[in-house]
Amino acid sequence: MVTALVVENLHKSYGSVHAVDDIHISVNRGEVFGLLGANGAGKSTTIECILGTKKYDKGTVRILGIDPQRRRKELFEKVGVQFQESNYQDRITVAELCEVTHALYRNPTDYEQLLSQFGLAEKHKSLVSELSGGQKQRLFIVLALIPNPELVFLDEITTGLDAKARRDVWKHLVNLKNKGLTIFLTSHYMDEVEVLCDKISILKKGRIIFHGTVKQAIKNSPYDKLEDAYLWYTEEEGTAHESL
Amino acid sequence: MRAFSTMVKTELKLSLRGMDMVIFAIAMPVVVAIILGIILGNKLAFEGAGYTFFEQSFGAVASIGICAAGVMGLPLVVADYRHKKILKRCKVTPVSPTMILLAQVVVNMIQSIVSLILVYAVSAVFFGYRMSGSVIGFLGAYLLVMLSIYSIGMMVAGVAPNIKMANILCVILYFPMLIFSGATLPYEIMPMPLQKFADVMPLTQGIKLLKGTSLGMPIENVFIPIVVMCILAVLCMGISVRYFRWE
Repeated sequence: MVTALVVENLHKSYGSVHAVDDIHISVNRGEVFGLLGANGAGKSTTIECILGTKKYDKGTVRILGIDPQRRRKELFEKVGVQFQESNYQDRITVAELCEVTHALYRNPTDYEQLLSQFGLAEKHKSLVSELSGGQKQRLFIVLALIPNPELVFLDEITTGLDAKARRDVWKHLVNLKNKGLTIFLTSHYMDEVEVLCDKISILKKGRIIFHGTVKQAIKNSPYDKLEDAYLWYTEEEGTAHESL
Repeated sequence: MRAFSTMVKTELKLSLRGMDMVIFAIAMPVVVAIILGIILGNKLAFEGAGYTFFEQSFGAVASIGICAAGVMGLPLVVADYRHKKILKRCKVTPVSPTMILLAQVVVNMIQSIVSLILVYAVSAVFFGYRMSGSVIGFLGAYLLVMLSIYSIGMMVAGVAPNIKMANILCVILYFPMLIFSGATLPYEIMPMPLQKFADVMPLTQGIKLLKGTSLGMPIENVFIPIVVMCILAVLCMGISVRYFRWE
C-alpha cells in the first residue's frame, strides 16, 4: 500500500514545554486516521506542524511525498484542510466563499454539487455567519473538498454539533472514505472514531501512547468499549491501576 | 488569473458591503471638495495668481481617496484577515502572499479612482472647475502617488503582527500625511518649518506633482520626487512579500 502521510521524529517545544514530543505517524492511502487526545494534548499543534502553519523544531513531514514547508503551493492543490476555528470574512455569503475557494485551484470540483450533497443548496445566498453550527461544519467540509483532494485534514469536525448533525457528517465521511479519499481527523467522540477510523493514535502530553486499530486499542485495555479504553490510556498511570 | 479576478470581485463586494471605505475613501474626499468649493468660491490662490485657490487644491483633495484606501483600508483589512485566521486558511491553499496583497491593492485602487472621478465631477458641475494643465500629466502623477502610497500600505499589511499594531501604524502614517501634506490643509498656508517637515513625506511630493500637472505649471526637479517615490515603492513592496506574515 502507498503511504499518503509520513511523519517522523516530530518535535515542537514552547520554551521548556514539549507540545509535540517525538511523534511518528504513517497513514496509508484510502485510510481514515484518527488522532485522539484530551484538550491540550497536542493534537492541533501536531496538525499545524504537519501542514506547515507552525514551524517544528525537529523531524520530517511528507504529505503525498511532498515537504509542506518547501513546496506549499504544489501540495495544497491536492490536500484539503478544515481547521478547528472557522475562519471566513465578515459579511461573506456561502456562494461567495465557495466561489473564491474554487478559484484558487487548478482542478476543483463543482461546488454546487457538493453543496447539495451536504444539504446546503438552499443556503447559497445566506451569510456564512448566520448558518447554524451544523451547517457551518458541513460548509467547511465542502470547502475542504473543493480542491478535489487526495487527502483531507479535519480538525474536530463534529465538536459542538447535536447528535443528528454529527450522524449526518459521519454519513458523508463514510461516503468519502468509500470513494477512496484519505482522511486525517481529530475527534473527542469515541463513537465517531469507532465508526470512521481504520487506525488511531492517542496523544498524551505531546507523546503518542497508543497506535493501532480501534480493536487493538480495546484488546490491549481491560475494557470492552473504546471510550473506557481511551480513558484508561490517557489517565495517569496511578489512577489507571487503581481502576483495575 | 481566474483566482485573482474572483478574489478581486469578492473582496470588492465585501468592501462595499462594509461601508467603511465607501465613507472614508469615496464620500470624504467629495465632502472636502464641496466644503472647499463653498468656502473658497472663486478666490484667487494669491494676489495676481492665474488660478483660483480651489483649482490649486484640486490635486490635494483628489489624493485623499488614495490615502484613505491605501494606508488605512488596505492594511486594516489584511490585518483583520490575519487576526481572523483567514490568512492561515489561505496558507493551506495554493494562493501566494503576492496575490492576496495585490487583490486588496486593486480593490482599494478601484475605490480611489471612483473617488477621483466623483471629486472631479462635483468640482466641475458645482464649482466650474476645469483642469488647466495636462490631463495625461495629471493622471501620470496620480498613478505615481498611488503606487508609492499603496506600497507603504502593502508593507504595513504584509508585516503588521496584529490589528492593534496595524492600527497604530495606520494612524501614524495616515493622519500626519493627511493633515500636513496639503491633502486637507493647504500646504501654502503652512509656516515654513512645517512645510520643511511636510516635504519629507512622499505624499507631499506627490501632491506637488498633482498640483503642478493640474495647474499646467512647469515643475522644477520633477525627476527627484519620481525617483524617490519609485524607490520607496519597490522597497516597500519587496518587504511586504518577503516578510509576509500568515499569522
